[in-house]
Amino acid sequence: MGTTFDLSDGGIVVIVGSGAGGGTVANELSQKGVKCVVLEAGNTLSLDDIENDEWAMFSKISWLDKRFSAGGWHGAINHPTLPAWIVKGLGGSTVHWAGVSIRLQEHEFKMRSLNGDITGANVIDWPITLSELEPYYDRAELKMGTTGPVTGMPHLPWSADFKVLAEGARRIGYSKITAGPMSINSVDRDARPACQQIGFCMQGCKLGAKWSTLYTELPKAVETGNCEIRTNCMVLQIEHDASGKVTGVVYADSAGAKQRQKARAVCVAGNSIESPRLLLNSASNLFPDGLANSSGQVGRNYMTHMTAGVYAVMPGEVHMNRGTAVAGIVRDEAHNDTRRGFVAGYTIEKLALGLGFLSAFLVPGPTGWGRKVSGALEKYKYMSGVWICGEDLPQEQNRIELHPTERDQYGLPAPIVYKTDHPNDTNMRNHSYGQMEKIYNSLGSTEIYNLPAYPASHNMGTNRMSEKPRDGVVNRWGQAHDIKNLFVSDGSQFASSGSPNPTLTIVALAIRQAEYIAGEMKRGHI
Amino acid sequence: MHTSISHHGRRASSQAPVTRRFVLRTAVLVTAALALPALPAGAVPEPLSAAQKTTLLRIARDIYPHEGFLDDAPYQAVIDAILIESESNPAVADLLAKGIEDLERRAHEIHQTDYAAIASAEKREGLLRSIELTDFFQKLKGGLLMGLYNNKALYAAFGYDGSSWETGGFIHKGFDTIDWF
Repeated sequence: MGTTFDLSDGGIVVIVGSGAGGGTVANELSQKGVKCVVLEAGNTLSLDDIENDEWAMFSKISWLDKRFSAGGWHGAINHPTLPAWIVKGLGGSTVHWAGVSIRLQEHEFKMRSLNGDITGANVIDWPITLSELEPYYDRAELKMGTTGPVTGMPHLPWSADFKVLAEGARRIGYSKITAGPMSINSVDRDARPACQQIGFCMQGCKLGAKWSTLYTELPKAVETGNCEIRTNCMVLQIEHDASGKVTGVVYADSAGAKQRQKARAVCVAGNSIESPRLLLNSASNLFPDGLANSSGQVGRNYMTHMTAGVYAVMPGEVHMNRGTAVAGIVRDEAHNDTRRGFVAGYTIEKLALGLGFLSAFLVPGPTGWGRKVSGALEKYKYMSGVWICGEDLPQEQNRIELHPTERDQYGLPAPIVYKTDHPNDTNMRNHSYGQMEKIYNSLGSTEIYNLPAYPASHNMGTNRMSEKPRDGVVNRWGQAHDIKNLFVSDGSQFASSGSPNPTLTIVALAIRQAEYIAGEMKRGHI
Repeated sequence: MHTSISHHGRRASSQAPVTRRFVLRTAVLVTAALALPALPAGAVPEPLSAAQKTTLLRIARDIYPHEGFLDDAPYQAVIDAILIESESNPAVADLLAKGIEDLERRAHEIHQTDYAAIASAEKREGLLRSIELTDFFQKLKGGLLMGLYNNKALYAAFGYDGSSWETGGFIHKGFDTIDWF
């Protein structure tokens, strides 16, 4: 039993969410002596709760509260109530993530300067540069145990499945082919064991070889004596005083009773659907469009990455489940080269699916059945496939909105999640399908399946960072333009999606933000 | 009209029983997801005939065909779970009765015979495509998706290993072996 804080203690920092952003901020602040309370909407989880079973873990840890998919993406039809595939539980989506830990590239911070105004998109530069973030990327990699030069940990060994992709990539002239960087121990490190190629990374790592705040940041934060974690506590509203300064939060506790926790500052890290929803649901007379929403950008510029899947039947056995979920990465298309017909680039990631998920996602939605699908599933052990993850241009129309009539279990308006492709996304996706066809044909594949986007595991941009307050919600520190003691600590801060997975960048930003918050508190500015 | 699949080639054995509780639970979850409308008060759905129950098996085998690969048992287990559910849930009983009735009407209109008597698999799949967005079809599909591809007893047939942490993962089990290039 660790330290507990009174509801009336206005000296603490409240952190909403315990994932990559919230968990890291909690630990970083705690290590600096700043007292904080983490309010996690989901259950406590432990390694004992983790099973090597796709559907069982999906039911156990996914965020399944009422949500609606909308917009032009296929998910509005095929996944009408599951726009995103993320976690409700201690550790947040760091329990589910695959471990890919790639830094944003220079051009991804400067999408506006580089490309100018793009019709139909709401592109801006980040108010920070890669060189400013680089020291924090180093610290993030050390914290998370990322394979590569900073930790000195070798990349993971190549599975058979990755060897298939690597060989095909080589045959079409690609060369940026690596089994990393991954935040998965390739050797014992930080009191966590090395990976055993269990293959159920995205169902929670049974060993703790994959980094997750669940068994790193959160227990370390509690150990300092400066952090209390309260699970099954859903923050409903953030409150403020007459001057607009945040004073605390109202949350539903594990018994469903409403509690008010006072706070010196609040860090919102509920992932990119809940974080803006919380701000919108905290609208008041002073903030009629939502807390910290003078720009109107809260909930807008929602990005999921341009994503796609490609699965192919190989001429020999692969057994893609025998190894890490993302067993390797090909980065030959991740640069910015508009001669391909789109701005920015994409990452090709080896992705293994189990039989259960392959049967559900090979052809998603109500039409995914019949001879073709069942015939493909009979060839499971011959299949290999990838996930494509690319730059997703921010659009104002892609947004989180409060449903006019549907309410969640707390009586709050449920979120509607709008997502529609920009032509840049479509061109990029088609290019990736073309490249993968070349790769799989070079290997003698007999059948290739092009998959649309999954319910989004990467969710970004809905409280974005901007230089000018009118363009976004937070400043270069993730601090709300409108309110000094309100911060956003998750991926909703992102001003662009970049081509790679967001977690490493979220952690780097969180380390840097915690340093700033602690400094500002010391200087009496917060 | 055939009621059983000819036994040739390798077939996943029906000896390993499908967990009835798991399949029943899935059936109930699919019903909840469909949000079927309640029946008018006092309405009593017609019980299915033996022939209609056989037709359900034919439909199930046509939703996810695996001739010569899976025998009837896992399909029948899903249907049985749905039938058990229909005994206590009139909305499901009604769904099945009306769904089969509608499919048979289409079968007679286009092919002048019962659904299960249509010899061509493509023609049967074509008919099912015309009802694929109905709650009746989705009820069966949802149950089968779990009963066939989320069913530990059938993993070996598909070449899927399932859980591996208990036996130390694949790091010492040839996870990196590839022999065809």
